[in-house]
Amino acid sequence: MARLGEATSPAATPDVVARARARAALVPDLLVEARRVANNVIAGWHGRRQRGIGENFWQFRPYVEGEAVARIDWRRSARDEHLYVRDREWEAAHTVWLWADKSASMLYKSAHADVSKESRALVLIFALAELLSRSGERIAWPGLTDPFSTRNGAERLAQHLGHAPEQGDKPDLTPVRRFSDVVLAGDFLDTPDETMRWLDTLARTGARAHLIEIADPAEENFPYSGRTEFRDPETGEKLTAGRAETLGDDYRQLYLARRETLSRWCKKLGWSYTVNHTDRLASEALIAVHLAMTAETGVGTGAQTGVGR
Amino acid sequence: MNFLPLSFGAPMVLWGLLALPVIWWLLRLTPPKPQTETFPPLKILARVLRKEETPHKSPWWLTLLRLLLAALVILALADPVFNPREKIAVEGQALAIVMDNGWNAAPDWERRVATAERLIVDAKESDVPVVLALTAEKPAQDIGPFNADTALERLNAAEPRPVPTDRLSVYARVADALENLPGATLAVLADGLAGDEDEAAFETLLAVQLSDLLWIAPQGLSTVALTDTANEPERFLVKAVRGPDAAAPRQLIAYASDEKGRRIAETTIAFGPGAREAEGEMRVPFELRNDFATVALEGENHAGALRVLDENARRRRIGLLSQNEGDRAQPLLSPLYYIRRALSPFADLIEPSNPALTEAIPELLEQKPAAIIMADVGTLPDSARQSLIEWMENGGTLIRFAGPRVAAAGNDETLLPVRLRVGERSLGGALSWSEPQPVAEFPASGPFSDLTPPRDVAVNRQILAEPSPDIVERTWANLADGTPLVTGAARGDGRVILFHVTPEATWSNLPISGSFVEMLRRIVQLSRNQGSLTSETEDDAGRLAPYRMISASGALVPPGPEAEPLAAGQTPRVSLENPPGLYGSEEGVIAHNLLPADATLQGLARPQAPVATQTLRYAFDTSRPLKGPLMAAALALLALDTLAVLWLGGMMPGRRGRRAATATVAAFTMGLALAAAPDAARAQSPQPQDAEAIAAISATRIAYVVTGVSSVDAVSRAGITGLSRFLADKTALEPGEPAAVDIAADELSFYPLIYWPISTDAPMPTEDAIARIDAYMQEGGTVLFDTRDQYSSGFGSTGSVSPETQRLRDILSGLNVPPLEPVPDDHVLTKAFYILSEFPGRYRGSQLWVEASLNAPTRTDRPVRTGDGVSPIMITGNDLAGAWAIDEQGQPLLPTVPSDPLQRVYALRAGVNIMMYMLTGNYKSDQVHVPVLLERLGQ
Repeated sequence: MARLGEATSPAATPDVVARARARAALVPDLLVEARRVANNVIAGWHGRRQRGIGENFWQFRPYVEGEAVARIDWRRSARDEHLYVRDREWEAAHTVWLWADKSASMLYKSAHADVSKESRALVLIFALAELLSRSGERIAWPGLTDPFSTRNGAERLAQHLGHAPEQGDKPDLTPVRRFSDVVLAGDFLDTPDETMRWLDTLARTGARAHLIEIADPAEENFPYSGRTEFRDPETGEKLTAGRAETLGDDYRQLYLARRETLSRWCKKLGWSYTVNHTDRLASEALIAVHLAMTAETGVGTGAQTGVGR
Repeated sequence: MNFLPLSFGAPMVLWGLLALPVIWWLLRLTPPKPQTETFPPLKILARVLRKEETPHKSPWWLTLLRLLLAALVILALADPVFNPREKIAVEGQALAIVMDNGWNAAPDWERRVATAERLIVDAKESDVPVVLALTAEKPAQDIGPFNADTALERLNAAEPRPVPTDRLSVYARVADALENLPGATLAVLADGLAGDEDEAAFETLLAVQLSDLLWIAPQGLSTVALTDTANEPERFLVKAVRGPDAAAPRQLIAYASDEKGRRIAETTIAFGPGAREAEGEMRVPFELRNDFATVALEGENHAGALRVLDENARRRRIGLLSQNEGDRAQPLLSPLYYIRRALSPFADLIEPSNPALTEAIPELLEQKPAAIIMADVGTLPDSARQSLIEWMENGGTLIRFAGPRVAAAGNDETLLPVRLRVGERSLGGALSWSEPQPVAEFPASGPFSDLTPPRDVAVNRQILAEPSPDIVERTWANLADGTPLVTGAARGDGRVILFHVTPEATWSNLPISGSFVEMLRRIVQLSRNQGSLTSETEDDAGRLAPYRMISASGALVPPGPEAEPLAAGQTPRVSLENPPGLYGSEEGVIAHNLLPADATLQGLARPQAPVATQTLRYAFDTSRPLKGPLMAAALALLALDTLAVLWLGGMMPGRRGRRAATATVAAFTMGLALAAAPDAARAQSPQPQDAEAIAAISATRIAYVVTGVSSVDAVSRAGITGLSRFLADKTALEPGEPAAVDIAADELSFYPLIYWPISTDAPMPTEDAIARIDAYMQEGGTVLFDTRDQYSSGFGSTGSVSPETQRLRDILSGLNVPPLEPVPDDHVLTKAFYILSEFPGRYRGSQLWVEASLNAPTRTDRPVRTGDGVSPIMITGNDLAGAWAIDEQGQPLLPTVPSDPLQRVYALRAGVNIMMYMLTGNYKSDQVHVPVLLERLGQ
C-alpha cells in the first residue's frame, strides 16, 4: 500500500510568488482596518474614505457640545449662525507582520492533498503581502525584515526569504508594536500551551493576530489502518501503532480539541483563527483572512469611530 | 506416549519440539513490518498511542498460532500413528494358522480375517512359511505351507460355512504338516464354540513340537441360536439357546417368513438373567402358520439363527373316506359335507377317485396323508385294513365317525379306540325316557381340555362304549350323562379317534356347531404328515436333492456345488456335504437344520499347552497414520497466519475488509443456492397446459374449430351453446362450455366431436394442422364439417362447386378419409335419440355424409344396421350451428331457410342424435333387440 503522506522539498520561491500573485489577483484590494492611534500611524497613500487623521478635507459637520473648541472651522462657521467642524479624511498606513512556518513539519503533503503545507502557507502569505503592499500597507517578516512599504511587497519579501539564513522555528515577535496586525500561517501542531506561550507576547503588546492553520487532510482525518509506523519529520521520533485504525477516533478528538482551544483563545483576544486545508483552495483562506483583517473588532481599538461603510 | 493410543515412526524428530521456545522468542522479537508513514502531528498521536500496551510486538495470538504451526509440523515429521496395532512377534520357524470358519464365526468374520491377516503380514516380515487351515472346510483341503502372499490370497478367499467345525480331522492334518516344520508358531483362531471331539483334537495338535502358541478367541460366547420350533394347536413355539457367557437378560425378536421371504409373524424371545434357554410363542391363526417357511432371529446373522420348516410344521393332507356318497343332489345329507366345510380352510383334503374301499384306501395312503377321516365306514377289506393299520402305526391319525354301519359292523380292536356296544342308543325318542343329552365339560386329560364345550349341542343318538378300566382316559369328550362322545387311543406312533355320532346332523347337531370345527382342527393339529409328496423316479426315491440352503450369514440361498442329496429317512450330521437347508423340490421338502432340538452352546476352553501361550483378541487393524492430517492442519494454520498478517498489515482495512468478507460469504451462499436452484426450479415447474387439460376433461365439452373469421366463430360458439342447452334440457348429457380449439396448437383428444365450419375467408390450415386432425380422427375422434353452402352451391350435383366445398375438398385431400355415403335410412344416427329421416340445419336438403358401412349386411328384418365404430367424419352443408345458435336470452340468432320453427327443432334434434351417436356409438343398434328379448322373457 502506498504511503499516504510524504515529506516534500521546500517550495521554490519564484513559483510560490507566481502562484501567490494569481491568488491575490482574485482578491480585491486589501483594506486593512487601521486603528486610529495617532502616534503609531504612518500615513499611507490612499484615503480611507472616512474621517480621520489626514490632510485632505473630508466634510464639515456641526459642532457637538463638548468637542475641543480648537477644532471649529471658523471660516465656515462665519457664514451662518452654526458652528462647524472640519473633518479630514483618514489617511493611514498600517503595519502587517507576515510570517509563514517553514519548519520541517510543514514540508508534508499527503496523497489527498494537492500541495504541501509549506507551499500553501507561503502562497497565502505572499498573496497577503501582494494585497497589502498594493494598498500601501507596510509589511514585515518578523526576524527577517523591518516593516517596509513598497509596491512589489511579495517579491521583496521573497527576496528576503531567499537570502535569509535558516531561521528558528518560532521567530521573535517582540518587534511587533501595538496596533499592528500579525498574520501567522503555520500548522500549530504544538500543544496549545506552547503556542499560547509563544503568542503571549503578541497578546500583551495588543497587536491583532490572524492565525492561519494549514492542515493536511491526512492529519485531520487520520486515514491510516493496520500496522503503521509514524515518524515525526521534525524530531525524527517514531511511533508504531499495531492497528492504526483503532486510534483514529481518539486522535481526531485530540487534534480537534487542540484546534478548538486555540481558536477559542484567539477569539477571546479578538484575533481570528482560520483553518485552511491543503486539499481546498488557498483563496478560501485568503478571503477569510481578508474579511478578518477588515472587520471591525471591539477589542483594543480605542476610540473606534466607524462610519457605515 | 502410553496414555494416548499414539506411536511415532520417528520419535527422534520430537526433540525438535525443544526448538519451540526459540521460535517463540524469535517470533516475539520480529513483529510484522509496519507501514512507515511520515506524520507531523506525532505529538498528538503519541498521547493516544500510550494506551496501547505492546505496540512493538506481535499480538500474542499470532505468536501462538505460529508456535502451533511449528509444533504441528514437527509432530507430523515424527510420523505419528494413531491406534497403533500390536506387533505380534512370530518367533517360530513357521506360522501355522488354524482358523475356525464354522457357523459361529460368520457374524464377525471380517474381524477374524483381519486378525489372521495381521499375523500373516507379520510372518511375511519374518519371512517364514505359513500353514493356513480352516476347520469347517473339508479335511482334504490344501493347507500349505504357503508363502505369505499365497496365504493372504487364500485367507481372503476363505469364507465362513454354515456348518459346525470339524476340528479333529483338520487338526490332525495340521499336525501332520507341522511334523516337517518343527518349532513353528501355532495360532489358533477359535470361534469359541466347543465341539464334540475338542479334547482329542487339541491333543493331536499340541503333540507337535511348537515354539509358541497364540490363542485367539472371542471374548466370551454369547451367540444366540434357534434350536427348535413346534407348531402346537394354539401357538407356534420357537426355542432358542445362547452361549454360556451371556448372563444378562436379553430380548430378541424371532420372526417367521413365508416362502417368498415376507415376514408374517413375530414374537419376542426373552432370556432371563443367567438363563441359557428361552422360548417365544407366536399366536397367529392356523392358516397363517401354515405359510411359515422359515423362522429367524432378528439381528443375528449366522446360520444358527435361521431354521427352515418343512411339511411337518405345515398344512396337513387329510384323506376323506365315505361309503354312501350317493346323492349329490342333497349335499346337506352327505356325511362328508360338514367335515369338508370344517377342514378345507386349513387342510388339504384328498378324496379317492374310486369309491371301492380296496382301491380307495391304498390310493389315499399313497399320498401320505396326515389323517384319514372315515365317515361311517363299517367293515374294511383285509388288505386295506392291514395297510391302514401299518400307516397308523407309523404315525397316521385315523378319525372315524359313527353311523349305522359302524354300529352294525361290530368291534375292531385296532381301528376303534374303545370296545363298542353293538347297536346305537337313542335319546329322547318316542320310546325313550331320557332327554337329548348336551355335551359335558371336556375332560382335562384330553386334547380338547381348553376348548369351551358347546352349550347348544344336543345328542339324540350315539353308539356306546363298553365300560372298561381305561375308558376314562380314552374319553376326550363326554355327554352330560357321562357317556363318551369322542374317544381316542394311541396306535403305535399314530392314533385312532372315534366320534360316537354321525358326521352329519342326523344324530346330533354337533356337526353344525362351531365346536365341531374346533375339535376337528385340534385333532388335525395332532396329526403329522406321513412323508412328503415327491414325484421323483425310483432311483432317486431315497435321496432328496438340495433345494434351498441356509448360508453362513443366515439367509436362504440356492444350493452350492458342495451340497449333496440327503438320504431320505435319516438325519445325517450337518456337514459340508449336507449343509443345513431344505432338501427336496417344490412339491415337498425336508428341513435339515443346523442345531438339534436338544443342542446347547458350550464355550471352548483354552487347552493346556506345553509351550508358551499368548492370548489375544480378534481386532481390526485400526492404526491410522496421522502425518497427512497434521500436515493439512499445519497448512490450514499457515493460511490463517497469512490472512492474519494481511489483516494486521492493513491490507484488509476494517470496513472494506468486512464488506469484502461479507461479499465473499454472500457469493458463496449464492453459489450454493444457484447449485441447488435448478432442482427446485424443476420441481416447481408445472406443466403449462395442466389447467386447460383439467378444464377440458372435467366436463364433456363440444369443440368447434376457430377459423379466425370472427362472425363464423361467434355463430359456432352460439350454436354449440344452443345445442348444449338443448342437450341439457332433453337428455342426461350436460355438456360444459363450448371449447374453441385451434387445430394447429391445442390438444384435440379431449373432445368427442369437433365442429368445423368451412369458411373461405379463413386461411387454409397448415399441413401440420391437417395432420393433427388426421391423427385425431384415427384415434377415434369425429369431425363434423359444415360447408354451410346448401343454397349457394346451386342445385344438383353437376353444377359448379361452391368455394366452401372446394376448400373442404382441399382439406380432405390431406386426410385419410374413409369411403363416405349419405346417412342411410337404417343408420344408427337416425335413431340414436330421436327418430329422424333427415338432418336439417339452417338450410334443408343437404345430405349428411358419414363413413360408409359397406360390408354391413343389410337385413330387412332389422330396423337398424349393425356395425361397429363411429364414423370419424361427417359432412353437411346445412349450417347446423346457424340453426342451433341462440343469443344470451335464448332466442334464435339466425332465421332458418325456409323460416320454419319446426326446422330449427329438427336441427337441434339432429344435433342431439349426432352427440348421442358420438357418445354411445352403436349402442342403439343393439337396443333393437329389446322387444325380442322381452318377448322371450315373457314366455
